[in-house]
Parts: sequence; structure tokens; C-alpha cells
Amino acid sequence: MLVVIAQIVIILIAFVMLLNVAAIMVWVERKVCALIQQRDGPNRVGPYGLLQPLADIIKLIMKEELRPKSADAILFTLAPIISAVAAFAAFAPVPFGAQTTLFGLLDRPVGLQVADVNVGMLLVFAIASMGVYGIVLAGWASNNKYSLLGALRSSAQMISYELSYGTALAGVVLIAGSLSLREVVDGQAGAWFGVLPKWYLFLQPVGFVIFMIAGIAETNRAPFDFPEAEQELVAGYFTEYSSMRFAIFYMAEYINMATVSAMATTLFLGGWHGPFIPAEYGWIWFLIKVSFLLFFYVWVRWTLPRYRYDQLMQFGWKWLLPLSVINLLVTAAGVLYING
Amino acid sequence: MPAGFSPSELAYLLPEFVLTLGALLVLLADAFLSRDRRGAVIGLSLVVLAATGAALAWVGAPHQTIARGLLSMDAFGLFFKVLVLVAAALTLLMSGPYLAAEAMPAGAYSFLVLAATLGMFFMASGVELITIFIGLETMAVAFYILAGLLKPNPRSNEAAVKYFLLGAFSLGILLYGMSLLYGLTGSTNLGTIAAAVANPAAVGRPLLLVAVILVVAGLAFKIAAVPFHMWAPDVYEGAPTPITAFISVGSKAASFAMLLRIVVLGLPSMAEEWRTLFYVLSVLSMTAGNIAALTQTNLKRMLAYSSIAHAGYLLIGIVAATPRGISAMLIYLAVYTLMQLGAFGILVLMRRGDSAGDEIQDLNGLFQRQPAAAVAMLVFLLSLGGIPPTAGFMGKFWLFGAAVEAGYVWLAVVAVLNSVVSLYYYLRVVVAMWTREPEGLEPRMRPALALTLALALAGTLVLGLYPRPLFDLAETSAKSLGSAVWAPSR
Amino acid sequence: MGWLGLLIMTGLGLGFAVVMILLSSLLGPKNPTPEKLAPYECGMPAVGDARERQSVKFYLVAMVFLLFDIEVAFLYPWAVALRDLGWTGFVQIVTFFLILVVGYIYIWRKGVLDWGPATTSAARAAARAMRERNAA
Repeated sequence: MLVVIAQIVIILIAFVMLLNVAAIMVWVERKVCALIQQRDGPNRVGPYGLLQPLADIIKLIMKEELRPKSADAILFTLAPIISAVAAFAAFAPVPFGAQTTLFGLLDRPVGLQVADVNVGMLLVFAIASMGVYGIVLAGWASNNKYSLLGALRSSAQMISYELSYGTALAGVVLIAGSLSLREVVDGQAGAWFGVLPKWYLFLQPVGFVIFMIAGIAETNRAPFDFPEAEQELVAGYFTEYSSMRFAIFYMAEYINMATVSAMATTLFLGGWHGPFIPAEYGWIWFLIKVSFLLFFYVWVRWTLPRYRYDQLMQFGWKWLLPLSVINLLVTAAGVLYING
Repeated sequence: MPAGFSPSELAYLLPEFVLTLGALLVLLADAFLSRDRRGAVIGLSLVVLAATGAALAWVGAPHQTIARGLLSMDAFGLFFKVLVLVAAALTLLMSGPYLAAEAMPAGAYSFLVLAATLGMFFMASGVELITIFIGLETMAVAFYILAGLLKPNPRSNEAAVKYFLLGAFSLGILLYGMSLLYGLTGSTNLGTIAAAVANPAAVGRPLLLVAVILVVAGLAFKIAAVPFHMWAPDVYEGAPTPITAFISVGSKAASFAMLLRIVVLGLPSMAEEWRTLFYVLSVLSMTAGNIAALTQTNLKRMLAYSSIAHAGYLLIGIVAATPRGISAMLIYLAVYTLMQLGAFGILVLMRRGDSAGDEIQDLNGLFQRQPAAAVAMLVFLLSLGGIPPTAGFMGKFWLFGAAVEAGYVWLAVVAVLNSVVSLYYYLRVVVAMWTREPEGLEPRMRPALALTLALALAGTLVLGLYPRPLFDLAETSAKSLGSAVWAPSR
Repeated sequence: MGWLGLLIMTGLGLGFAVVMILLSSLLGPKNPTPEKLAPYECGMPAVGDARERQSVKFYLVAMVFLLFDIEVAFLYPWAVALRDLGWTGFVQIVTFFLILVVGYIYIWRKGVLDWGPATTSAARAAARAMRERNAA
């Protein structure tokens, strides 16, 4: 009984954390942007503007909901919901801590994970790609030229980079020999020669770089933020969205970022394993790593200019895809060679 | 080995390997050669087909079931492989002049012809439902694209869309029947299915009947038998002429191979049921095909209806389902391939200037302009109509004889009556070629086309005058099918 | 918790999104005007419908994606089982890739991957042929 309650509590914690990530990231994004541009950023609402996200949410709830007359009523509302559901569900298989009995409170250990399934990696990959439906439906339902173009661009971009993304994941599967994310993390425990942590980052450096680049493209972030290239497309697929529906798209984007960062941590950076902190508190390492990657995301966005669309597609198809396939084959040969 | 192939078995697949690699080579050649090098690409494809033929000759018919019972390397499969190989080679040979006249690039075209041939190879030797289906799909998808390859021509687009939609629909029906068979018998292997079906107590009879009907309906689409023929005239008319020829002979031959394998090998104990079905299909196809052909003014459409009628004649062999009936089918398919390709070769010749050349009146006065071509066309048409001394006569004679021998006298009578009807519309073309005044541009005979016509003509005449070797081959092949159907022979 | 956890998470996400949207439609003001309900085109009156024909590139990329995505879907079971399959499995996947690579080279040469100006001679020739055909 206690175990079930503990598991439900874990799910709730994960859910609330994801909501918080979205809120905190809005603040981080604006603050980091300001620092990079030598400004102060939000500083009125609460200390250091920390309550700014809350104020934003309240403001957005009180705003008028607009829907163009020519829009498709059902799909227009459905699109942000699909985006949000896909974003939340995609995080479910990611483990964020070692198994714990909560100091002996429980009679058997439970994992800090929403859904411990043996095909977790495939599941994240599959659900994350569902997000593209939300974007395409939003663009089509709006019946606005900017929205439709943004949605088309976005889907073309996402499917193009999904190939490299998936192939980079397969490299990790080869080494780990499992699709279960918990087993992947456990494969990275310990250290070589006592100093170098046994992270797959060191076995799959090319895979990690491909994964991060494709991950940025998958989440439509700068320098690959074409769906919402404001100079060309106003706001891309959510041009016609306002009020809370708009906010939900925004939130889904940040949650997707968190999922990609969490996946990168799990697959390449050893998940919750790390020195100095006992395994019971491994989730602290997990949070540190994810936070760093999220900061990296923001850093990249405010440092690099946007690509041109043809450059983006050419880079994805002509460089990243062949590179990821070669990486995979080399990895496979290496795995076979070492295992005799 | 985990994949289920032993290295010695791989050697039996040499022709398929050669064909696959060759097709990929053609695709690469197309990617790197300039667009105007049609001759080189087509020449390369013909070399690939020749190499495949050599590999076929080397492998022969070892009478082995390989790849864990997926493929049967027997004389039956070999017969059909050689048949579709010849059809593909003649098609490509006449394609050069046609592609030049239509200003079409040759690369994707040649590749797709080779891919379709590869699919037919697996249809010919597959003895397992999924293998057969994948072969069928490979062939069908290649043909959907080929039918629409005349991109600026709306008729060609229409042909591709119609062929694709109806083809996908029919494949769905076929697949549904196959899944029912699998569900009832627990196997996709035809031999196992036959054993399971032979025990009526174990298998639900009504459901099995539904499965048989679905499978037969799906296959009837592919061979364009009435009432599943609706796509044929439009597709034949719209597709590029050499492709029309290839669809009407290659696709038909491979589909018949598949049909024979599935019903004769896989469902022998349902023989009474499928005999009835094919009896009905045969009579309908012959009659409806010939009557509809009577009114056509477009030669391609006329040949489409005539090929529907021929599907009806061919089905006679399977109704009889005796070794003689099956071997008569094989003979007729071989003969039909040659004469049909020859007739379409003449259509390619008539493609000149802005004229599509596929109306009957386009052939007006052909005898004055190209006497040799007119005589060749006469032979092809007489052969299609079944007049001695052409091969068409021998084929029909053997086929109808098999029906009489198996006790289907009325079926043979209907078939003979239909042949008489068909003579009317074949002779209309002859009348146009000899008695009308020529009009339009002068048709130009090119060497490749002349070679195609000469080969088809030689085949049609030689098989008509000296059919013995073909008969022996067909008999060996039919026997190698090895079925339980003809055990209680009448 | 296994698949049930995924279901709960999906339910929470769905509930959250629906509640927030309902909340804002309850609390937000409602005074629509025809201008507000028109599609936004930077202040200009909208011309025509947005759902028009789009560049064929998008369709091409979708088709090519399908082929390669099947490849990726193939990779996962293979990657898990590689240690059991051994070098035979490696050779098989390399064969599979080589066939795919031929198609890849083909679409590259034919300009399917070019979103800007054509980068290969074959793609330029195809573009020229299309222009000539359209002019004729």
C-alpha cells in the first residue's frame, strides 16, 4: 500500500517539477538573455524578478481568447492540448533517481521514475515525435498563411532531424544492449581508473554532439527556430493563438527542452550517477546535469544567429544523417570487436 | 546461422542477387550520367537482364526449398522467371525509341522495370504467403509509378492514380484473405496450409470459403479478370506503351504463377470451390472482354479488352487443374507474351510526331509505308485470334483440349465461340492497314524496335510450327508444381 | 510503476491543459470584433485562403523521411540483439544500409535535398527540363 502511495507521490512530484521547469525557464531565459545583452532583465516582480512567471501566467489567464472566424474550431483547441500531453507524457519513462526505500519506510524499493518500462527509449522517441501533430494541426486550423507555413517548416524540420536523433539513440542502445532507460543509466555507474566516470559521453562523443544538435532542432530552438522565425513568419504556427492556449504551447516547448536535456543526461552523462553524493541522493546530480544542459540551451539561443532554412535542411540531410549512420556502424563494429 | 540462410542456399539466389545489384547499378548510373544518355542506361539494363539470364541458366531448377521454406527453386518457378525476363528484355528493347519520342529520361524508368522484374521473380518462386505478397508489392509499386511516368500527360496521371487506388484496394482484399488463411491454419507456408486444410474437421469450413473467395478476388484484380477488370482499359491506355505491354504480359504471367501456387499448392482440398469460382470468372472474362473490345476505336483499349479476354482463356487451364491444363496455361502464357509484346511494338512504331498513334485509324495504310511491320502485325493479330499456323493457335488448341479432357466441354465451346468473335475486331485492324489511305507522318523504324519485332515475330511463328520443345518444358514445369489436386484425376 | 504511470502522466497533462484553457475562457473578457476575428497578416486585410498548394518539397521530404524512418525503426531491435547476432548481423545491417545508400545518393543527385539553388548537375538539368517544358 505504502509503495503504491509512494509511486503516486513520485508521479505527482515529476508532474509538478515539469510545470516548475516551464515557469523557471521563462525567468532564466529572460534573465540570461538580459545578462548576455548587458541589461537587467525582469527585476520588478519579487526579488530579482523571480515572481515574473507567476505574474505572466495570471496575466495570460485574464486575457481574451481569440479564434479567427475561418479557423477550424475543434482542431484549433485540440492542437495545444496535443502539444502539452505529448510533452508531459514524453518525460514519463525518464528515470531521475536510483531506486530507494525512503530510509526503510517501504518494504521494497521503488524507482524515481514515472513509468519504468523496458522500451523506455523507444517510448520517449515515439511520444516526443507526437508533438509535431500539435504544431501541424495548429498551423492548419488557424487558416493563416504564416501559421501554415510555420507549421509546414516545423514538421519538415522535425522529421528531418528525427532521423539523426533516432540514429544517435541507437548508438547508445548498441553499447547498453537494452532499451530500458534504467538499465542504460546503471550501465554508466562507476569510473574508469577511478577518476573518469563511465559515462557513455566518452564512448559516444560524436553521438552526443549529434544528439544535442538534433535535440535543439527537434525542440525548435534557436539557431533552428524556423517555425517561429519572427522576422519572416510573425510567430509561426501560433500566430493566431492568444491567452492560455498560447501559454500552453510555450510551456510545452520548455517541457520538451527539459525532456531532451533529461534524455541527454540519462543516455550520455550517467543519469543520477556521480561522485561525492550517495546513491540515495543521486537525483541531485540528475538535477545539476539537467540544469546545466538547460542553461546551455539558453546560452546557445542568445549567442548564435538563426540559420537559413535551406542551410538547415542541407545540414540535417547531407551532414548529420550520414555522420550519425557512420557513427552507428563504427560503434557496432567496436562493440562486436570488444565482445569478441 | 540466425537468419535462416546457409551459404549453399545463397548460391541458388544468384539470379535475384544479380538483378538487385544490377538494378541499383542502373539507379546509380542514372544519378551520375547526363539526362540524355538514354541508350547507355537502357543498354546497361539489358546487360543486367542478360547477366540475370546467365545466372538463371547456371542455377537451373535444383528442386530445392530454401530459406526455411520461403522459396521453392523448381522448374515451375524457372519457367516463369525466364518468361518475365524475356518480357522485360523485349520491353526495354522497344523502350529506347519510345522514350526518345516522348523525351522521357530513362534512368528511373529502367530501374523500375528491373525492380518490377525482381518482384515477379519472387512471385514466381515464393511458396509462402508473405514472401509472395512482398514480391507482388514490389512489382505493383513499380508499375504504379511506371504507369504515371509520362508526367505532362493527364491520361498517364489518371492511369497511375487509378492503378494505384484499385491496386491498393485489391491488395487489401488479398491480404485479408491471406490473414484469414493464416488465422485458420496457423501458418503462412503453402504446404502447411494444404495439410491443415485437408483436415476439414480442424478448420472452419465457411470461414475457409470466405478466405478462398477473398484470395481469388484479390488475385483476379491482378490478372484483370471480369468483374475485377475495371482498371485495365484506363491504365493500359494511359501508361507509356512499352509499360502497357509489360503490365499486360509480365504482371499477368507473374500473377498467374502466384495464383497457381496459392490455389493448386496451398488449397488442393478446396478444389471444387475454386474451380467453380474460376469457371465463372473465365466465362465472364472471355465474353465481356471480347464484346467490349468489339466497339473500341483505340487500339490500346482494344488490346486491353483483348487481354481481359485472354485472362479468361488462361483461367480455363486452372479450372481443369490437371497437369495438362496447367502445362497448357504455361504454354499459352509464353505464346501470349510474345504476340502481345509484338502488337505493342507496332504501337511504339506508330508513336510519331505529336500523334500518340494508338487509334486504329493511325494504322491506316501501314502496308504501303512499312510493309514488313504490317505483315508482322498481321501475324501477331492472327495469333491473338488463334489462327493456324501461328503460336496462338497451338496455345488455344492445347488449352481448350485440356478443358475437354477434364470434362469441361461447355467451357471449351464458349471459349471457341469467343475466339470467333474476337477475330472480328482483330481483322478490323488488318483491314485498316491494307485498304485505307495512309495519313499523318511517316512512321520511322529504328533498329532496336526492328529487333524487338523480329524476335517477337520469330517466336510467334516458330512456336506455332515447332512447339514440341515448349510443350516438353511446360509439362516438366507443371509437374514440378507437385500438387495433390490431380491425384483423383478424371 | 510501468505503463500505468505513463497513463497517469498523460491524464495529468491532459487535465492540466483542459483546465487551464477552460479557466482562461471563463476569466478572460469577451468582446470580439470582425477585425479581431480576421486572420492576422500584419494589419493588411487577408487575401484568399491560407490552405493553398504548398511547395512540393514538403511532400518530398515527408516521403523520403518515411523510408529512412523505417530504417531507424529497424535499427532498434537490431541494436538490442547485436551481441547475439554477431558479425553476421553486422554484415546484414551493412547490406541493408548499402541498398539505402544507393537511394540516398540518387535523391541527393536528383536535388531532393536542395532547398535553395540546385547543387548537382543532375538537379540543374532536371530544373532546366522543367522550365523548358513549362515554356513550351
